[in-house]
Amino acid sequence: MPNAHNSGHESEGNYGHISVQTYWIVFGSLMVLMVLTVAAWYAQKHFIHLPEIVAVGIALAIAIAKTTLIIYFFMHVKVSSKLTQIFAVSAFVWLMILFVITMGDYMARGWPPQKGPLTQAPAVIAVGEIQSSALAGD
Amino acid sequence: MSTTALINHYATNRATTASAWLKSWLLTVDHKRIAILYLISINVFFLLGGLAASAVRLELVTPQGDLMSADMYNRMFTLHGVIMVFFFLIPGIPSVLGNFLIPLMIGARDLAFPKLNLLSWYLYMGGGIFALCAAVFGGVDTGWTFYTPFSTSYSNSNVVLTIAGAFVMGFSSILTGLNFIITIHKMRAPGLTWFRLPLFIWAHYATSLIQILATPVVAIALLLVMVERIWHVGVFDPAIGGDPVLYQHLFWFYSHPAVYIMILPAMGVISELIATFSRRRIFGYEFVAFSSIAIAILGFLVWGHHMYVSSQSVYSGLVFGFITMLVAIPSAIKVFNWTATLYKGSISYRTPMLYALGFIGLFVIGGLTGIFLSVVAVDIHVTDTYFVVAHFHYVMVGGTMMAYLGGIHYWWPKMTGRMYNEAWGAISALVVFVGFNLTFFPQFVMGYLGMPRRYHVYPQEFQIYHVMSTAGSTILGIGFMIPLVYLLLSLRYGRLAGDNPWNAPGLEWQTNSPPPTFNFETQPIVTEEAYAFQPE
Amino acid sequence: MATTPHEHGYNPALLHHFDTPGQQKEAATLGMWAFLVTEIMLFGGIFLAYMVYRWAYPAIWAAAAPHLNTPLATVNTVVLLVSSLTVALSVHAAEMGNKRQLVTLLLVTILLGATFLGIKFTEYGEKFAHCAGYANPVAWMTGGERLAEAECLVPGANFLFPTEVASAAEGSAAPALVARPGMKTPHQLFFFLYFCATGLHAIHMIVGITVMSVIAWMASRNKFSPTYFTPVEIGGLYWHLIDIIWVFLFPLFYLV
Repeated sequence: MPNAHNSGHESEGNYGHISVQTYWIVFGSLMVLMVLTVAAWYAQKHFIHLPEIVAVGIALAIAIAKTTLIIYFFMHVKVSSKLTQIFAVSAFVWLMILFVITMGDYMARGWPPQKGPLTQAPAVIAVGEIQSSALAGD
Repeated sequence: MSTTALINHYATNRATTASAWLKSWLLTVDHKRIAILYLISINVFFLLGGLAASAVRLELVTPQGDLMSADMYNRMFTLHGVIMVFFFLIPGIPSVLGNFLIPLMIGARDLAFPKLNLLSWYLYMGGGIFALCAAVFGGVDTGWTFYTPFSTSYSNSNVVLTIAGAFVMGFSSILTGLNFIITIHKMRAPGLTWFRLPLFIWAHYATSLIQILATPVVAIALLLVMVERIWHVGVFDPAIGGDPVLYQHLFWFYSHPAVYIMILPAMGVISELIATFSRRRIFGYEFVAFSSIAIAILGFLVWGHHMYVSSQSVYSGLVFGFITMLVAIPSAIKVFNWTATLYKGSISYRTPMLYALGFIGLFVIGGLTGIFLSVVAVDIHVTDTYFVVAHFHYVMVGGTMMAYLGGIHYWWPKMTGRMYNEAWGAISALVVFVGFNLTFFPQFVMGYLGMPRRYHVYPQEFQIYHVMSTAGSTILGIGFMIPLVYLLLSLRYGRLAGDNPWNAPGLEWQTNSPPPTFNFETQPIVTEEAYAFQPE
Repeated sequence: MATTPHEHGYNPALLHHFDTPGQQKEAATLGMWAFLVTEIMLFGGIFLAYMVYRWAYPAIWAAAAPHLNTPLATVNTVVLLVSSLTVALSVHAAEMGNKRQLVTLLLVTILLGATFLGIKFTEYGEKFAHCAGYANPVAWMTGGERLAEAECLVPGANFLFPTEVASAAEGSAAPALVARPGMKTPHQLFFFLYFCATGLHAIHMIVGITVMSVIAWMASRNKFSPTYFTPVEIGGLYWHLIDIIWVFLFPLFYLV
């Protein structure tokens, strides 16, 4: 029964504990993931050809995995109150709102604007070249 | 902690020297004093913004540009917009009424982070000083929206200084919101469950969510504009492949939720006023509470309705338009619930109630015209005309400003311990109402007929509307000045108010007027629902 | 109402507007998380700009990214991950009341943060040195080895992106790309975003180091105990966020 002295807040601030061993395991995993992401990049650059979207997808997936580990363990979200967990998640949800809707706009309109034949920057093209490229209509 | 120890600890020793008195105000961490600091500074900025508006309206009396040059006119309306949006409407109700009342309403001794609260005020003042310096040095002519590439590449005015002002103010806003969220979550009195909270608190909670999530995005947008302006290279520059419209996306991602920062606290105030002056619990309490949260969340999904003509994709436009119509639904829910509260209520037409009733009518008009604007086909014709200007002034002045005045009048006895002169209160409410409608209703008409906004020269046929509008603005200005006089006079000559002059429920009325430093003699314990009016 | 006299100083860290230390700690943690939400949204704006322009100019990104110093950045990533570990361990040490370990770990964290900044500074220095025509910052200061071929990757009036790489990139904005100072090409966008994002991150790192220094000083002054170590915890949260931002910056800029 709450009274003036005890306002029901006693149990707060104490939601659990993460061991040192867990920290070291998480650190190890983070290092492994980092090596993986560099290796993937190196492989994609020199040996395996992947479509860009897949390469970016792999890199982002690894980054998200690392972030999740850091947030869950190092930042104690695993042993935090529900409210803290909601705060942590909502930041990324709102980020997604910003990204998805804005990218939706860019994908739905013709952007970057395509330049017409007469708007090509002349740079260092010889006079003959200008005439031929204009006639070619590119 | 024992009661006597508490009193002894918090006993305010009257400052005996001038410097001690100054320090007790400028270094205070008491949320009530910080609210008063905000009250003074926000009203000063309101006056400055009003002066800029007067200059604009005076120029517009004649179709020719005779009072000032085009460039000067641009600077005037920009100054009006920047000051009113960033330094009056956004901080407005949360920083004055929210700061003062939130701890009182939830039975706490202060906000969660009192020192951050003081920092918020200093950041507000810092930002304000930047903006004023920019004004003194000649102002800025980009419009309060700072659209690129004009602001980044072509404007010859004090863009960086003004933007720095808005940037710093943004942090003030973030810290206030942060403070409110944590306070409301963690510092409620025993027995004060979420559904026993006053709707004022729900409204400020929703507002604070928006402040936290949206403001950083405009901060980075403005930062990028400053960088581009200073170093002449940036991401909004078409010459290197950039997109000026990206700025608009980032800017409006904040600025649309910002208008909900402006209106949600106002709606919270109105809930309190309607409840007290009809002596009834707000009808559909849970619906009103959830509608605040719904407005906050949905408000993040509609920013593109400011960009229909910006080369934004039509498909995006249609989606934004549809969701904009959805966001009107929670607002409508509130209006219906307020009206239902009035039905069979015991209504007393005191000054705060006059403002509240005015709010409901004017907000409905402003809100409905917002729906007209959400339709892409209509917006294409009336965008950048006075129709839009009238729409947002109806919700911001007819809405937020009326609620601000109503709230100031309602809680004035609590904040100062004095009652103001009721007759003058009623008179000024009526003057404001008449002046407001005379100013802004003609703007709907002329906007629809094609009068563009931000133009100081216009075709002869619109002059009649502009003259009506300027006449109305004069009356409106007088209506705003009158309370300044009688409220200040009441500090000396007003009748002592007592703890609860309105006989209202709510924890803030269970303590002295003005409240002691630590707010409550003894920790309140809540056992009743909100708005528990005793039958009379 | 409770009238039993209570030692006012049973927890000197308990602020007067809170009822219990647990409530105060929860409030502080939540408050820091709310602030981290704002930081995430702040960087979100820059990441949005990155996303838009990478989507629009993929070839430009592919051409420009190799000009960044990926090996140095990889070292920086390792540095930051280790510093995250030391921060987590320092919070644990504070919880255990182990002052010596706490202070040591905090100092190591600060050192790692300074290392990060030093490496970043070197990276930036490299870019600016190239603009000045020198091969590296040391050469720039001593007037030594000059850069073989002109290159200036700092966006602005002197921006110069090496042409043979540019003309090989298909789908770039201007096919007949000619290298001249201040060339108007989307490569400037890449490097502008690079400098902005990593610059803003570096500013946050400086703030983080300052915060950690204050906390380390407080720790050395015995301000913390197993019942009160909130500043260590929330300072740690801030540091972890700095690390998380880098975790995203690294693959997005250096591993294109």
